Amino acid sequence: MLQKLSASISRWALSAYFYLIVFYLIFPVLIIFPISLSNNTFLRFPPSNFGIRWYQTFVNDPAWMEATILSFSVAISVSILATVIGTMAVLALERRKLRFSNLLSYFMSSPLLIPHIFIALGVLIFTISLGVENSIFALIGAHTAIAIPYVVLIVGASHRQLDLTLERAARVLGAGPIRAFFAAAFPSLLPSVVAAAVFAFFVSFDELVIAQFLMNGRETLPMRIWADLRLELRPTIAAVSSLLIILTTVAMLLAELLRRRTASLTST
Amino acid sequence: MKQANVYILRLLAALMSMVIFIGHANTQSRELVVAGAGGVVANTSQQIYLDPLSLDHDINITRVSAEARRMAQLEAMVRSGNVLWDTVELSASDYPIGVKKDLLQRIDYNIVDPMQLLPALSRREFGVAVSAYSRVLVVRSDKLPDGDTLSSWADFWNVGKFPGPRSLSGRPEDNLEFALLADGVPLDKLYEVLSTEEGLDRAFSKLDEIKPHITVWWRSGAQSVQLLSDGEIYFSTTFNGRVSAVRESGIPVEIVWNGGALHLSFLGIPKGAKNVEEAHIYAHERATNAEKMGQYIKVIPYPGFAAGLTDYVDPEEFVSLPTHPDNLLVQFSANEEFWVDNLEKIEERWNEWLLQ
Amino acid sequence: MIWPALILLFMFILAPAIEIFRASIFDPEFTTEHINRIFGRDIYLTILWRTIKVSLVVSVLCAVIAYPVAYFIVKRPRQQQFAFLFLIFVPMWMNILIRTYAWMVVLGREGIINSTMIALGLIDESIQMLFTSGAVYVSMIQILLPIQIVTCYSAMTEIDFDLVRAARILGASPAQALRRVFLPLSLDGTITGMIIVFMLSMGFFITPALVGGPTDLMLANLIEMQVEQLNWGFAATIAILLFTSTLLFVLVIRSLSKMLTKFLGGGNL
Repeated sequence: MLQKLSASISRWALSAYFYLIVFYLIFPVLIIFPISLSNNTFLRFPPSNFGIRWYQTFVNDPAWMEATILSFSVAISVSILATVIGTMAVLALERRKLRFSNLLSYFMSSPLLIPHIFIALGVLIFTISLGVENSIFALIGAHTAIAIPYVVLIVGASHRQLDLTLERAARVLGAGPIRAFFAAAFPSLLPSVVAAAVFAFFVSFDELVIAQFLMNGRETLPMRIWADLRLELRPTIAAVSSLLIILTTVAMLLAELLRRRTASLTST
Repeated sequence: MKQANVYILRLLAALMSMVIFIGHANTQSRELVVAGAGGVVANTSQQIYLDPLSLDHDINITRVSAEARRMAQLEAMVRSGNVLWDTVELSASDYPIGVKKDLLQRIDYNIVDPMQLLPALSRREFGVAVSAYSRVLVVRSDKLPDGDTLSSWADFWNVGKFPGPRSLSGRPEDNLEFALLADGVPLDKLYEVLSTEEGLDRAFSKLDEIKPHITVWWRSGAQSVQLLSDGEIYFSTTFNGRVSAVRESGIPVEIVWNGGALHLSFLGIPKGAKNVEEAHIYAHERATNAEKMGQYIKVIPYPGFAAGLTDYVDPEEFVSLPTHPDNLLVQFSANEEFWVDNLEKIEERWNEWLLQ
Repeated sequence: MIWPALILLFMFILAPAIEIFRASIFDPEFTTEHINRIFGRDIYLTILWRTIKVSLVVSVLCAVIAYPVAYFIVKRPRQQQFAFLFLIFVPMWMNILIRTYAWMVVLGREGIINSTMIALGLIDESIQMLFTSGAVYVSMIQILLPIQIVTCYSAMTEIDFDLVRAARILGASPAQALRRVFLPLSLDGTITGMIIVFMLSMGFFITPALVGGPTDLMLANLIEMQVEQLNWGFAATIAILLFTSTLLFVLVIRSLSKMLTKFLGGGNL
């Protein structure tokens, strides 16, 4: 009897603990929405009067808009590049029995654990020593490099659950390897490929340190937020943050759902 | 008939080339790229100086906001040979760096100040002074102990009498003089003392006293003012021009002019700039046009030295300007040359001191 | 097929890493100036130890806090687990800048916590929370906790609960079954998570810069400061110090954990 009571108390306590931690994780983010709707000049919580002034400021400020557009362009390029290159790598690793496939796998995932500041510094020094001026290409390249591990992990996981018989059947019936792949296997992989593309997008879109080091002159959105956070603290940042939160949550949710759909589709 | 056709063709060809030539000539307007602070400074500058200039002289002017790492960007540009800016705003601490690293070209004062109306102290070899600003102590008057207020640097150091979180700038050239003043060095002997090893040690040990009480070492004027406004900091150094915005938003703050540092900020022309003549024209407007300067300082209270400025300024506003005689009396003039010569060696010591 | 990826990684990871080593020692000719400076002045090693200390504390705290959370999720019915994980994922997807900014608002002298406590009469004057080491720990843990939770969870889902049930049938109490069967099996995953969190912590830059005080700067901040002053050679040296000490400590943690697993799990089943 006592055991049952203590068991349910401990279960209740664990539940409460879980929600407490979730609160700790999410709580600061929730206050950003009310702040973004304040009309005060300087940051104050709770805001005394409400309005969408800071959203308007954000949209009307060319510096913010340019930064957003730049971040979008870079992130989209990175997303496409990383997805294509990463998927190709997955196909190579999973299908051909390459001699060092394990080692290569680790190498592919290595950027995940290298601090961005290390990569940022290295690429900076590298581009300077090569005399490369155009920083955007370097940024896209570096971001793609750090996004590839995500693509490899996501697409790799779903590829491993892929049933190859359909593709083999296509080959037997005379289709070339590329056609067979795209017709038979790729549709099942597609959701995870899209999911990987979304992850890669945000890896680049949210990235600060590498952008900060490499870009001279133009700013990406994280750079702009960082500059404002260090130098000034207008509620515009709250408005930008709210928009980012909504964008990220919706997109990542879709990506995650797609990834799971692949898992359920491909598992037999 | 054939001959007429030929004539018509020739006429057409001539007309076309004329049109092309005129069209081409029209697109060959003059360019100017002006680089400086963003935000309020950029907008005000655009309205008062750049738009009229663009119309009067038919110059296509672009304003570039370069806040972060302006000097690093400038250096990268000058070294690579691809200089995108034609003029650049240089704060008092940036100017010596620009000179030392050979990033600026000589100002032609025949264009900028042909009638020699500017005082000698504003006509530097590689930059013309366009505004004066002061770094001063600013206090939250609502965070003061009853009846008392800070009136000197010694008071700032007195954490017992005036408790509260404090902030100072993270740069050595913004602090060493204040430390010496707090230690009792008279205004006119400041740099004499600072130029000696003992003087330097004296400044650093005075700073050792206050270091544990500094909550944040601010990195920018906007940050220092945000900290004061948030109530995160009660007493801080900041730039005089930012104080009125805080006051207007309802926060009670006071400037302590005593012991303040008067600085000049300059307009410089990068080495290798593409539109040198247009740059000089802008510099002339910016430095000597008293009427425009009067309008400018209504928004950004950093007056320059345009002759006849007092004609365009309200007497009440004039009192809170760094160049008001009362305020000038109690401030010291920041010695740019001293920092050009000594910044590097002091900076290394300062950086390591700061990290401890 | 694999070449584009390899070339990309070579160009943007490997070659730059080599360049860092080169820049540290050749500036432009061979020099040990930077190495001498880093080991010569106390201050740099102090910051190194501080970075290591913060990373260790953060990774241990994350491991401890995350474990029950992951356990809770794993015990939920399979179909529900995603919903619970989602609650952990959403903050993980948020931009670090945004999460840190939120802390700046919460912890300020006139921020939510202070205002609420003053309003409730708990304190008379606001407490200094921002720009302290405490703020750094609280925000770093918040940022890194989801990663630890997810890693723990992945490891825990692999555990065969039949083993735990077997222990119960054999007479073990729930607590004993947990401690002697479940814990050792999940330990490996937990340690992996700890190592990942440790490695990420070492490279942290944004959080100490925004919510930390002047004495909370970590190695990554130092690197940024040096880059800002255009001292690439010295920045490279600090980066190498960061990299090698991270590697060293990871190896140490790994071997300690191997010993721990042997101690806990060996001789029991």
